[in-house]
Amino acid sequence: MEAPPDNDVLWARSLHFTHRDGSPGLTGISLGVREGEILAVSGPRGSGKTTLLRCLSGLVPVRSGEVWFNSAPVHTLGPMARERLRRDRFGWIDPEPVLVPELNVWENAALPLMLRGAGRRRSKAAALEWLERLDIGDKARSRPRALRHAERQRVAIARALAPGPTVLFADEPTAPLHRADRTHVLRTLTSAARSHGITVVLATHDPDTAALADRTVALLDGRRVHTVQLPDTPDTEGRAACSLSV
Amino acid sequence: MLALRLTRAARPAVQLRRLLVAAAAAGTGFLLLSCLGYALKHPQAAGSAALRLSWCAGPLAATVYLALAVARTDPATRPRTGMSAVGLGPARLMAVSALTTALSCTLGSMLALLVFLHLRGDLSGLPFDGAAADFLAAGLPLPAPAVLTLLAVLPATATTTVAVALRPKDPRPLRREPRRFGRFGATGGASARESFGAYGRFGARSGGRTGRNTAAVGQAGSPAAEGALPAAGDPPAAGGRVPGAAAVPERDGTSPAPDGTTAADSPAPDAAPAGTRPGTAPAGLPWGIALVTAGLAVQAYAGRPVPVPAPAVLLGWLLTGTGLVLAAPGLTHLCGRLLQTSRPGALRLLSGRVLMTEAARIGRPLGVVCAVASTGYALTALDDGSSRTFGPLSALAALVVAGCTVATLLTVAVEARQCRADTTAALLRLGATATLLRGAAALRAVALLVLFGPLTVAVAALSALPQAG
Repeated sequence: MEAPPDNDVLWARSLHFTHRDGSPGLTGISLGVREGEILAVSGPRGSGKTTLLRCLSGLVPVRSGEVWFNSAPVHTLGPMARERLRRDRFGWIDPEPVLVPELNVWENAALPLMLRGAGRRRSKAAALEWLERLDIGDKARSRPRALRHAERQRVAIARALAPGPTVLFADEPTAPLHRADRTHVLRTLTSAARSHGITVVLATHDPDTAALADRTVALLDGRRVHTVQLPDTPDTEGRAACSLSV
Repeated sequence: MLALRLTRAARPAVQLRRLLVAAAAAGTGFLLLSCLGYALKHPQAAGSAALRLSWCAGPLAATVYLALAVARTDPATRPRTGMSAVGLGPARLMAVSALTTALSCTLGSMLALLVFLHLRGDLSGLPFDGAAADFLAAGLPLPAPAVLTLLAVLPATATTTVAVALRPKDPRPLRREPRRFGRFGATGGASARESFGAYGRFGARSGGRTGRNTAAVGQAGSPAAEGALPAAGDPPAAGGRVPGAAAVPERDGTSPAPDGTTAADSPAPDAAPAGTRPGTAPAGLPWGIALVTAGLAVQAYAGRPVPVPAPAVLLGWLLTGTGLVLAAPGLTHLCGRLLQTSRPGALRLLSGRVLMTEAARIGRPLGVVCAVASTGYALTALDDGSSRTFGPLSALAALVVAGCTVATLLTVAVEARQCRADTTAALLRLGATATLLRGAAALRAVALLVLFGPLTVAVAALSALPQAG
């Protein structure tokens, strides 16, 4: 194994993870995320992208293996310390924009800052600035239910970016969107991250999305692979040769 | 069978709630049966027996209310993803929850019958055998049809109420439009533009009604706009849904839903009662205040030192209680609004806004609890003066009513928590501490207590004042 370079902000060594029901999640993944880069974690559905992101961000404890953030171990931290780390250093974007439906848009975006103990005025200013930058500043006072799906996703991105996280984990942020909205959301996300030097770990199964990233790590069945080449399915499968006695 | 299987494999908390329903049903059934015993013992006093029977309406209503709240909270009858595909759609789930309710209510009724027979002395071999034999008309033969009818009242009412309340509703709103007349006065939608003669050509003479015309054209021209209307432009439609799950059903107009089942069947059974837009206050507050003051005024006019509750006093209590129930959602909303005023931080913002959104759901049972508590307070204040004391049956009735209302309030709180489960999970992913969420919940409870406790005491003291003095 190569030694991690000094500018790696986050790295993992031989991560193993098993889900609670015993199904295998990750089997021996090692990777490093350099500072300020956009790293795409690609792979088909069920290949362990979300699990890897959850392990890296400390949402779930790993079974064996190591996760290091800024030369400090994450895998040995307790739940409270991991929660504090997540709140102070990490951002997270869900595939579904889960906003708090009772708060309006700018309050949603300012919520992480308020949770960190920042003042209301500062939080509001930062949230409004990010909403403006993501083209939803005119809807800052409306409720999430009055927004369309792509707009809600942009609010979720603003919420993740507003506290200025060191690492931003985006778990298929564009999966339920149409292609036009998808391009818009991705472009705003990547340009914002590049202009502010935020490291992004982006899980995606879409090669077009992965092309926006600096580097791509391909996963298959919980392992890191260098090429995803699945054998072609034969044409006759399921049609002519349908037989139960095989 | 499916209902039985789902009933058996539930968590202890769910079973506890169902047992609460069974216990309440047992209490109500015993009250009904003891009315029958009184009527058997005193065949000449038919009016008095009918009055006793009518007093059973209170415990009956409270039990049905509790059964409805428990059925709403029941996770076994919640629409799950993918269950619609195997034939467990909303209608079937309604049937399952009605059957579960019937099961627990029938269990309670059977229990009531057993206790009744035991206390009469018909079943021997246990302690307290025939302890209330004289009271419950022992020695007289028990008419089986009467017993069955009385015992069937509660399960039938509760099952019907649950089935009606949880029936599958169309998630699309009923669009109310003012009735328009089409061309030449024919009835029908004027969605197409007037295209006849000079009036329709080139948009002539349409200057005064541009808004209406453009709206009509937009509706007729693009089905996409029509499909997106419930999602984007129709907030009252979204208000009836679960706030936590609002992200799921609203998606259908704007983007492809990953699986069509969740969008179709998620909002149906747990729609908030009398849902309003979260930003707007529930509308019942003025009516509630008016009814409360009217009830207090009626009691003040009826305020003579009377030995028995006169009909006017009863009417006053009824008016006051209805007013409290009507006013409580508005007061809850007001409470939340007060919590989040003047530069709130995360704690006050979360607790206040959640209270404002859940006002319709939480407020109604809270008002019922307030009404019951104030009535009980006034009754005890009145009872000190006169010599009449509570019998065991009155105590049982009071216990059933109070227990049912408090249990309903707690069950509704559980339901609200279930509906906000995914929002809570998102907040935790965001880094909110569990302490903060618990603090927000405690702050909500304290705020409600601070507002509603003195209110209850004040209403009770005011309604007891004329009779006492």
